[in-house]
Amino acid sequence: MPLDVVVCLKQVPNPDLQFQVAADGKDIRRDALNYKTNGADEYALEEAVRLKEKFGGKVTALTAGPKRAEQMLREAMAKGADAAVRLAFDDPAAVDDYQVANMIAAAIAKRPHDLVLTGVQSDDYGYSATGPLVAGFLKIPHASVVTRVEVSEKGLKVWRELEGGDQEVVSLARPALLTIQFGINQPRYAPLPAIMKASRQPIEEVKPTDLGQSTWDGFRGPYTLAVRKVSPPAAKGHAEMIPGNVADQAKAVAQLLREKGFVRG
Amino acid sequence: MRMGANVVAVAEHREGKIAGVTYELVAKGRELAAKTGGAVQVALLGKGVSGLAGEVASRGVEVLLAEHDALAAYTAGGYAQALAAMLRSPPKILLAGHTSQGFDLAPRLAAEWTAPIVANCVDLAMEDGTLIASRKILNDKMAVELAVTSERPYIATLRPGSVKPVGPAGAPGKVTPVSVLIDPAKNGRTFHGYERPEVQDIDIAAADVVVSAGRGIQKKENLPVIEGLAKALGGVVGASRPLTDMDWLPKTRQVGQSGKTVRPKLYIACGISGAMQHIAGMKDAGLIIAINTDPSAPIFEVAHYGVVANVLEFVPALVKELKSG
Repeated sequence: MPLDVVVCLKQVPNPDLQFQVAADGKDIRRDALNYKTNGADEYALEEAVRLKEKFGGKVTALTAGPKRAEQMLREAMAKGADAAVRLAFDDPAAVDDYQVANMIAAAIAKRPHDLVLTGVQSDDYGYSATGPLVAGFLKIPHASVVTRVEVSEKGLKVWRELEGGDQEVVSLARPALLTIQFGINQPRYAPLPAIMKASRQPIEEVKPTDLGQSTWDGFRGPYTLAVRKVSPPAAKGHAEMIPGNVADQAKAVAQLLREKGFVRG
Repeated sequence: MRMGANVVAVAEHREGKIAGVTYELVAKGRELAAKTGGAVQVALLGKGVSGLAGEVASRGVEVLLAEHDALAAYTAGGYAQALAAMLRSPPKILLAGHTSQGFDLAPRLAAEWTAPIVANCVDLAMEDGTLIASRKILNDKMAVELAVTSERPYIATLRPGSVKPVGPAGAPGKVTPVSVLIDPAKNGRTFHGYERPEVQDIDIAAADVVVSAGRGIQKKENLPVIEGLAKALGGVVGASRPLTDMDWLPKTRQVGQSGKTVRPKLYIACGISGAMQHIAGMKDAGLIIAINTDPSAPIFEVAHYGVVANVLEFVPALVKELKSG
C-alpha cells in the first residue's frame, strides 16, 4: 500500500538568535538573519521518509516562501524526499496564516496526497494553526501533536500528546493531515552523496496563476489584517542579574544559596 | 450566516474535570463582550456532562450545553459539527484555549467558517469593531500586535495563564440545552482512549530542589555537570523538552506543559532559554535561578536571579564554591 506523503516545511529564522525591530516597527529586522528548517518540521520530514521506506510511495517536500527556502528543500531531498515544491511567495514575514494555509491547500489538492504532514508549530511564530487550517481547506480529517503513527489498510491510528504527559489514541480515515510533535523519531543526517545529488535535482515552482488566482492575495480570507506593532516584550518582571566574571558569579550564587538555607553542612 | 454580538468560549474538559483555561476564557470573553455589546457564553460539549455545566454556570456565566454520543470525547470533527449546529447565529468572537484541544480545533473552524484566526494570543481587545491580538513570537523575544477587521466571526486561541480566571459568582448563570445533529460518518476521526505513562522513575514534582538541564549543556556527556550540582544541593535533575526528546534523560524528567509541573523550593535552570511550554511547568517555584548565555532569554523574566554565563563553566565553579564553604 504505497503512500503519497506531502510534508509541509517552513524556513524560519534561528530562534536562538537575538532580534531587533525593523525601522518601520512592523517586523523584525531581516537583513542579517540566519535561517533554518523549522524544528518540528524536521521530525515531520523524517516520519514521512520512514513511512515511505516501510510502505513504499513518494515523499514530496512543499514550502511557501522566498527563493532562500530552496536550500531547505534541497536538504529535505538529501534526507529522503523524492520531490520538492516551492510556492513562490516572497513575503518574508508571512503573518497571515489563513492565506498561507489556503494556498498550500490549493497546491496539495492538485497532487496525490494520502497523507499530509506538518510540524506541530513553527519556531518563529508558534501559532500551531497552519496544519489544521490546511486540513480544513482540504476537507480531510486531521490530528495535532502526534507522537506515534500506525498505518492500517484504510486509515491511520495515531497518538496525540495532551497536557500533563497524557496521550490520546485516535484513528483517522485517509487522506488525513497530521501535525507532528518533537521527539516522535530521531531525524537523520543527510549523507554527503545525497547532498551532492540533491543540489542537482529540480524544484517545482508554483505561481498563483498555477492555482487559479492572479496573485497570492486571492488566497486571503474575508478580512483585513495588519501588524500594528512589533516590539521587545514588556518584561513582566526581571531577574536580578548577578554581575562579574564566572568566579564572581559562582561566589555570589553560592552565598545566596547559603543565606536561603539550601546548603547543608 | 447572521452574526451576533456574543462571545462564545469553548469549554475544555477531560474525564469529568473542567480545564482551568475555561475560566480564563470566560474572564477575557466577558471583557470583550462588554465591547461587542453582547454577552459571554460557554459552549460545553460532551455526553453526560450536565454536572459540569452546573459547575461552569456557578461562575456566573450562561452555559450552552450540547450532549451527544459523538461528543463523549473531544474530536475536532465532532466539535466542529456541533458548534456549527448550536451557533446558528454565529458569535462575534469564538474563544478557545491555546491547548492541544484548542489549537487542534480553532484553526479548522476558521477554514470551515471562512473566518479569521489569531492563535496563541496573550491578550485580546476590541477597538471599534477591530480585534487587537497581542502575541509573543520568536521564543517570546518579541511582542506583536495584530489588528484584524472582519464581518465574519473572529476565532482566537488564548495562551493558558495569560489572564486571571473568573471565580465563583453569587448568582449562577443559566444552563441552556441545545440540540445538535452530528453525522459521525463526516467526522473522519474516532477517539479510542487515553494512555498514561507508567512512572518508574523518581518523581521530580515531589522534590524540594530541582536542577534542570537544557540545550545549553551542549551534549549528553555533560549531564554529570548538572548531576553534580543537584547532588551538592540534595536535589534531583530535571530537563527541558529538547533533552528528553533526544533521550538524554527519560521523559519522566521533563518539566513543562507536556511534562511535569513542579513547585520546588529551589529551581535552577541551566542552559534553558525558557520557551512558554517550559515556563508553564516551573514558574511557581519558590526561588528560581537561571543560567544562560543569552541575556535576552525569556527564562530571565520568571527567574528571581539570573546569571549570564556558559553553564559548563559556571556550574562547576558553583559546585566548587558550595563544597569549599
